[in-house]
Amino acid sequence: MSAGVCTDDAHRVWARPEIARHAIRDLGAGRRETLLLIDGVRCAGCVRSIERALTAEPGVADVQINPASRRARIIWRDAETSLPQLLGAVARAGYRALPLDAEALDDVRRHESRAALKRLIVAAFGAMQAMMYAGVLYLGDADALDVVTRDFFRWLGFLVATPVVLYSGRPFFAGALRSLKARRPGMDVPVALAVAGIYVASLIEAVRGGEHVYFESVSMFVFFLLIGRYVEMCARHRAGDLTDALARLTPPYADRRLPSGEIERVGIRELVPGDRVRVAEGAVVPADGVLLAERCLVDEALLSGESAPVERHRGEMLVAGSVLVDGPVDLRVERVGSDTALAGIAELVGRAQASRPRLAQAGERAASRFVIRVLVLTGITAAAWSFFDPSRAFTAALAVLVVSCPCAFALAVPVAITRALAVLARRGVLVVKPDAIEALAGATHVVFDKTGTLTEPDLTITRIETRRGFSDAEALRLAAALARESRHPAARAIAAACPDRVLDAAKEVEAKPGLGVRATVGGRELRLGRADFALGGKLAEPLDEDAVLLADDAGVIAAFSLSERLRPDARDAIDALERQGLTVSIASGDSVDKVRTVATKLGVRDWHARQMPADKLARLAALRERGERVVAVGDGVNDAPVLGGADVAVALAEGAELAQATSDVVLTGGRLTHLPRARAIAIETLKILKQNQRWALGYNLSVVPLAALGFVPPLLAALGMSVSSLVVVLNAMRIGRREGGADARALRRSVVPVEDPA
Amino acid sequence: MNVLVVMIPLSLVLLAGAAAAFFWAVDHDQFADMETPALVPLDDDPSTAPAHLSNSGNAGTVAR
Repeated sequence: MSAGVCTDDAHRVWARPEIARHAIRDLGAGRRETLLLIDGVRCAGCVRSIERALTAEPGVADVQINPASRRARIIWRDAETSLPQLLGAVARAGYRALPLDAEALDDVRRHESRAALKRLIVAAFGAMQAMMYAGVLYLGDADALDVVTRDFFRWLGFLVATPVVLYSGRPFFAGALRSLKARRPGMDVPVALAVAGIYVASLIEAVRGGEHVYFESVSMFVFFLLIGRYVEMCARHRAGDLTDALARLTPPYADRRLPSGEIERVGIRELVPGDRVRVAEGAVVPADGVLLAERCLVDEALLSGESAPVERHRGEMLVAGSVLVDGPVDLRVERVGSDTALAGIAELVGRAQASRPRLAQAGERAASRFVIRVLVLTGITAAAWSFFDPSRAFTAALAVLVVSCPCAFALAVPVAITRALAVLARRGVLVVKPDAIEALAGATHVVFDKTGTLTEPDLTITRIETRRGFSDAEALRLAAALARESRHPAARAIAAACPDRVLDAAKEVEAKPGLGVRATVGGRELRLGRADFALGGKLAEPLDEDAVLLADDAGVIAAFSLSERLRPDARDAIDALERQGLTVSIASGDSVDKVRTVATKLGVRDWHARQMPADKLARLAALRERGERVVAVGDGVNDAPVLGGADVAVALAEGAELAQATSDVVLTGGRLTHLPRARAIAIETLKILKQNQRWALGYNLSVVPLAALGFVPPLLAALGMSVSSLVVVLNAMRIGRREGGADARALRRSVVPVEDPA
Repeated sequence: MNVLVVMIPLSLVLLAGAAAAFFWAVDHDQFADMETPALVPLDDDPSTAPAHLSNSGNAGTVAR
């Protein structure tokens, strides 16, 4: 209905670079990615017609649309098309598209829920009145009501049913029209046919003074359907809450410091890298930036799920969306808009919601086939009855249309998946690829990386052993200059241990995964890493095998001994996974001694040390060849290529790294116990999804024949179809509920008094 | 029975009135947020309300 409002003019604003920057992601090589929110998508038919409209545009490389979350992900080439053109193409197909950002979401949602509430209340009032007038007519049949009074009540019924059909029922007609235009009948088609049929037939009967009118049935039908749609809408809005919460974390404006030192309040979209902004105590950091004050405490809870504030020092990065606990502080803006870590995370979640898992695609095809079958069956019913008893042909055909419920089919998969994604996200598990839910549920084997995965990502230096007259501080400075260039936990520990913030620049940096870093500092080539790498193969003297060595061409400069601690929940997580029937193993690049210690502590019998990335990949490939479905768990940054070789890649990531993690599933906040829980939810999701499909099939198989034989009165048919789609939605809402309830009970026992969660 | 001729149109007028009142309420965001308004009086300093308290309903409109 909003299609007409949306002219190309309205889209032109997105051509302005400062605004487009917030909605477009650069994929490199002239390829751009945009997430759109599309209004009015209901079913597979809509998806096809939008896909057709977009792929017809020049320069569109890929389109993915998920009707459940109504998100479209478009990859396009910058040279050939533009965002306003894409929005225009969607508008011409009859839908309203908005680039996905918090404001657009607010707009669309408010619009949608207001309209839905109004339609629902009109239908409720209308149905209530129509039932009362119908009651008079039914009683009147027994009382021998005179014809004038009877007609009076019939026309009253018409009066109240008309707004219900024409106003409240409009989404069904609009949806049916659109899906017919796309030549792919969706679930709105039988509904619209049934509503129009009952209404027109009752009107003709009323004019003719015929035997029966069904104004109350049609009102109730629309009312029940709208209740179902309303519940579905609320569920969808709740499921989308996480992305939107993320997108909304950034404040709408920022305090920019002018060169004169004055503060100017500007819109968040006007910020550019290099700006200096002031963040007040308790305020939200508006963009990713470098801290210019000495130190501060920030709460990154909404990014990492970890509620304890973390301390940041001068020169460190603050992430947009985190809350400043003490302040005010100044920061220099580094990244804005869709480049920020927060936008990256929102993007990850958004991408998961925009892609359609295989399961959902199969479900859509089934629903579409079902609609066609229902229409054929309605035709057959009408034909057969007009042969035997023409007076009943019309009611029987309508009953078939009304009672059959393609909605249950069409909704079975998307509501379950969307709900599962939302439940998992709330537990700190971000599912990037929805297919991972299916794969996780069927997994048989888990391979853990050790460093930074089973152990805490933060190592500490326990001992520095220097050679050739270097002092500890000197050696540390040199090592830190190299270590800054790597993200490996050991490198980060060394970089963090160096008290100096200004270090000599490392040039010609080369990081070797699994080995170490090589770079030139102050004209001297240095190597930091495993002993064999640092010494270039010349093992001159016996050293602690586990130590990280710093060496140049003349030999060892220093050896750093690092200690690592197991994550406190590693044992629990592994026990839980084994209880779920999974085989657990550890593959690490670390030394035999260290891996053995960790494996013994955790009770893992299958462990492999000194594994290079290629060895790990070969191990995963061998497992998969044996028919195992493998989950690989790592930190997602250092071991990204290894994770790519598993059926499900799980990354543990915190803070800014979340967005860079390449994996199917991201565990935020560094909680390993999220993994067995995520698997439990994945299994539950598949179970409920199958239940939903069986229910839809069973319901339709049992009621459609009855309706075709003329046993189902219109009112009962309306009730049956609405209840059956409600059952599907409510059943999907059960996902994660049981466990959530258990959590809440445990919490109530342990925490007294209970704090207000808000 | 003649009283019906008065009472039924009257009930329809009242119904229309109720519907109009409801439409007004929906359009003025009376149903947009059912939870946070109850918590607002408990907040000591409304200007520092956390982001999640001020981003829905009326507050969202103001911020724009």
